[in-house]
Amino acid sequence: MIIRSLRFSARCLTLAVLLAAGAHAEPYLAVGQGPKCSQCHVNPTGGGLRNAFGNVFAQTQLPAHRVDTGSDVWAGQLSRYLALGADLRFDAQAQQVPHSKTLEDFQMEQTRLYVSASVIPERLLLYVDEQLAPGGALNREAFGLFWSADHTWYLKGGQMYLPFGLRLQDQTAFVKEITGINMTTPDQGLELGWLKGHWDAQLAVSNGTAGGAGTSNGKQSSAQLAWVESAWRLGAAANYNDAAASGSRSAYGVFGGLRTGPIAWLGEADLVDDRSLPNGGVEMLAALAEANWSIARGNNLKITAEYLDPNRQVGHDQQTRWSVVYELTPVQFVQLRAGVRYADGIPQLATEHTRLYFVQLHGFF
Amino acid sequence: MLDVSGTRLLVLSALALLNACAGNGAGLDANGQPLGSGSAPPPPLTADFQSIQDNVFTPICVRCHGGAGAPQGLELDAAHSYALLVGVPSNEQSGLLRIKPGAPDSSYLVLKLEGAAGIVGVQMPFGGPPLPQSTIDVIRQWISDGAANSPAAAAVSSAAFAVTAISPAQEATVAAPLTRMVVAFNHELDASLVNDTTVHLEHLLGEAAEPAGPFGAELAEGNPRVLLITPRRALAAGRYRLTLRGNGGGALADVDARVLGDDYTREFTVDTTP
Repeated sequence: MIIRSLRFSARCLTLAVLLAAGAHAEPYLAVGQGPKCSQCHVNPTGGGLRNAFGNVFAQTQLPAHRVDTGSDVWAGQLSRYLALGADLRFDAQAQQVPHSKTLEDFQMEQTRLYVSASVIPERLLLYVDEQLAPGGALNREAFGLFWSADHTWYLKGGQMYLPFGLRLQDQTAFVKEITGINMTTPDQGLELGWLKGHWDAQLAVSNGTAGGAGTSNGKQSSAQLAWVESAWRLGAAANYNDAAASGSRSAYGVFGGLRTGPIAWLGEADLVDDRSLPNGGVEMLAALAEANWSIARGNNLKITAEYLDPNRQVGHDQQTRWSVVYELTPVQFVQLRAGVRYADGIPQLATEHTRLYFVQLHGFF
Repeated sequence: MLDVSGTRLLVLSALALLNACAGNGAGLDANGQPLGSGSAPPPPLTADFQSIQDNVFTPICVRCHGGAGAPQGLELDAAHSYALLVGVPSNEQSGLLRIKPGAPDSSYLVLKLEGAAGIVGVQMPFGGPPLPQSTIDVIRQWISDGAANSPAAAAVSSAAFAVTAISPAQEATVAAPLTRMVVAFNHELDASLVNDTTVHLEHLLGEAAEPAGPFGAELAEGNPRVLLITPRRALAAGRYRLTLRGNGGGALADVDARVLGDDYTREFTVDTTP
């Protein structure tokens, strides 16, 4: 028993040493620790199922206190070939809109199940991300992933989230909204990835229908290139969607991260030129700046400021939003989040002046 | 490297800067559009489609549900919304229509707006506050009243009978299985003229063509301007031609006996490659 405990402690120590390059689900954790998304996630572009390293990290390094389970550490592996993960977010929230009654409710934001089958270990993977709640089952991602022998290249085919900018947890962020590329709008297509040294690059071709069936020969092309250093990263992304009969839609983004002491900074700015709208097209600009202050292990203060210009040809219509969220991870697999989101916009539209107060129970493994 | 207090100051400065950037709305109308741009403030919400379009779909929904990449292919701008909503099956819950005229409780749009237990995905509007129940009640009332199109659209009925939209589009390549073809007309279609002669689907084999197999053709429930064509068995990979007979005896016509005028033909490809 003592020997097993010593072995486990040694493993944790090894992981702690490796954490100079270790990370978890959200981009701020990657920026705070230094590595690429693929260090902790099965999906090389991040999010979803954690690999064994990511699972052990989530249990040993994220929580304020680790409930001792002896040598039993959940690594997500049901067998050598099958892995399982899940993510649950349940909210209690109050939303205020001027001239409207405050809405207070409980809300199941999501319950998702991740399954992967490494049918050829380290080389060929089948992956499914299924949303089980709210409502009925909804497939988010389902793809096959083939790695080159040296894990420098990969080819992904199926339904997937497209590579574009930071893969933020908040899918309602302005930068996620105007690009239309987020974790609620997967698309079907192919993605070619290249991960070598500090470089991280993806090229994808997809239907461009955000989950709907393909209805034309037009396709959506996405490209992303990032340089990842231990203390900072910088990337650029582009997207061109020619899938609408009425016109095309282009998006360009720059994004990055920087670690300064206990604070991990994130930033992204996106420009969207949508010529597929019936009124002749709109050019939109959105930006995000976020600071994640790791106050103590298991305690993170997240402050986010956002900016949106919904039509660059029109003046005085800009919107802003800021969020303050405290994230406490008391023990492994459990996170409590509490925060406020404050949106501001033109006085004419009450819906641009919302206040959201929420407490969230976040369970994951 | 910055110290903690310096970084905090930086955060607060960034917040103050960004928060000061919200527009003051000068020169904009009630929908945030420039004054004088032809978008006069809509009158208060009433239970008719034009009012719902102007007060709900256009100012709130089109931000995401517009143009290329509209989620689930559901474009809710004024040019597309009615044809893509009324009588059209939901992508998320194919057993339900997005709007079933006369039946708001069975209309998926209402369920999504109310965040009902049976929906797939999240309540709409995504990321924003739910619509006030009073607004949803107006939409419910419009659906209960039959979900008629707007008077403005009805005014178009004096125009010649024509196809306004079709899916799959000309020269489109669609992934198998192709479960349904959708044809939208500018007028109400005479259902009695829909048959194997006026609606013809062929499988193109080089220069030759053969019937593509049995299919059903019927008007969308509650939206007689939309024709739904449903193959009875899966279409094999290959090229297909859909023909709507537009002239001669038994041509497709609207309820006022105005015929299409010319045969309407569209070709597309079904691709079974995974």
